[in-house]
Amino acid sequence: MSNFLQLLFNGLGIGAIYALVSLGFVLLIRAASVVNFGQGEFSMLGAYLLVVLFNILHVPYLLSMLISIVVMAGFGLVFAFTTYWPLRFRGGLPVIISTIGASIFLENLVLVLYGPSVVPVDGLFEDDGFQIGEVFLSTQYLAIIVIATLLVLLQYLIFEKTLLGKKMQATSQDKEMASLLGIPVVVMILITFAYSSAMGGLAGMLVAPILFVSVNMAGIIALKAFAANIIGGYGSIPGAILGGLALGVVETMGASYISVPYKDAFAFAMLLLFLMVRPQGLFGEKISEKA
Amino acid sequence: MKLLEITGLVARYGAADVLKGLDLSVDEGEIVTLLGANGAGKSTTLRAISGLVANVQGSVKLAGQDILGLKPEAIVRLGISHVPEGRRVFPGLTVRENIMLGASNRKGVGRRALESEVDDMLGHFPDLRRLEHALGWTLSGGQLQMVAVARGLMAKPRLLLLDEPSLGLAPLIVQQVFRIIADIRARGATVLLVEQNAHMALSVADRGYVLETGRLLVQGKPDELWNDPQVRAAYLGGHAA
Repeated sequence: MSNFLQLLFNGLGIGAIYALVSLGFVLLIRAASVVNFGQGEFSMLGAYLLVVLFNILHVPYLLSMLISIVVMAGFGLVFAFTTYWPLRFRGGLPVIISTIGASIFLENLVLVLYGPSVVPVDGLFEDDGFQIGEVFLSTQYLAIIVIATLLVLLQYLIFEKTLLGKKMQATSQDKEMASLLGIPVVVMILITFAYSSAMGGLAGMLVAPILFVSVNMAGIIALKAFAANIIGGYGSIPGAILGGLALGVVETMGASYISVPYKDAFAFAMLLLFLMVRPQGLFGEKISEKA
Repeated sequence: MKLLEITGLVARYGAADVLKGLDLSVDEGEIVTLLGANGAGKSTTLRAISGLVANVQGSVKLAGQDILGLKPEAIVRLGISHVPEGRRVFPGLTVRENIMLGASNRKGVGRRALESEVDDMLGHFPDLRRLEHALGWTLSGGQLQMVAVARGLMAKPRLLLLDEPSLGLAPLIVQQVFRIIADIRARGATVLLVEQNAHMALSVADRGYVLETGRLLVQGKPDELWNDPQVRAAYLGGHAA
């Protein structure tokens, strides 16, 4: 039982990372109808920024994180203008290919600038964690769960309680109608890119002490986030959260109870299972029923 | 005074000219209706006025100011509110939220003022009152049309563009919609109304224009139009009929 609780805790921790990246992914689908294959690179860049600021320049840890988040928000705007903007009237596929191109470019850019070595990073806290009964609670995992929860709450408040959030939702549901009402559609889309990039970057920084920082982390995180999105229900916000958490728990348990080398395989087996049995995911979008 | 003045408006989708040099004007306080068969260019006229058609030539002036080529966001800020064909109520937002977003063209309206404006607006649409927290996708056609009109009015427009408000509605609901249009008129608003239902449209309008394949066929007062043989022909699908 204690082993189960331990795995559940660790699984939720890593699942919270998938959920955060998946949320950024879903927001872009909803606001800009962009399927962003560069979402994992946002996390990778965030993690490398933390490495440069904290490991190399010795900026204090929290300040490093804060600076990285701001830089990543700005990077989201650059990404929007270079990857999405020139192709915005060309439909979904050209933008998808463009984001794939951007992701290849970014990975190789980091490879050239930093090299292929895997970089370890300190965690948020000096203490690794503490023991409750037979369960070891890692401070980093705890921080991930707490921060992810706060971000989800913040996002809920922004989307459901503020006029800005309603305008962003309106933009995602019908851009042309939103523009007819005087909603600045372009601004709404740019805000979404900035937020999505900042959140992806933060997820990368939070997971950096666990997975270590490498060019390859982008691909792994993006694939898991995409799988979480499908499992939860394509384009669904609660689905992204629940899908991410479920994925984290399943792969952690699978690795421990069945086989460690197959850890990633459990995640994708779950994806395949959902595609076969319940392709609309946990939360099939009610909007798509009408459209 | 002319609130809206259109001269020589040409609109193209791809290689096709949908409007081939249209002249049209709407005076302050008038209800003007734009009639014609399917494909005559009625909706395109409204879309061109509110900035949704990229390829346009000619001139569109609102109270003397040239607005052709401006973005839709800018045009609605100048006071033209467009209630488009198909209602386009946001499916994932509630009735109340949909109506509230209608005021997005006006800067500096506080949240509290906005909420009370929405309450006032719901007062004019008693049927929507009990549905204010229902999501857009759950509404019937008539309810959607009420929400779309209420949302359009929240912009406090100088000119309201209404595209096919009666399309797909049961006769009783159509009458209700036209009572609302008459009510809007009583409040002194200016309306450019596109309709297939010529009888209803001419019953509320001060003047009408009839389009045929992108050109003006005839214009005049409702009774003149109603008795015009060309109009009757146009409604039966042009000269082919």
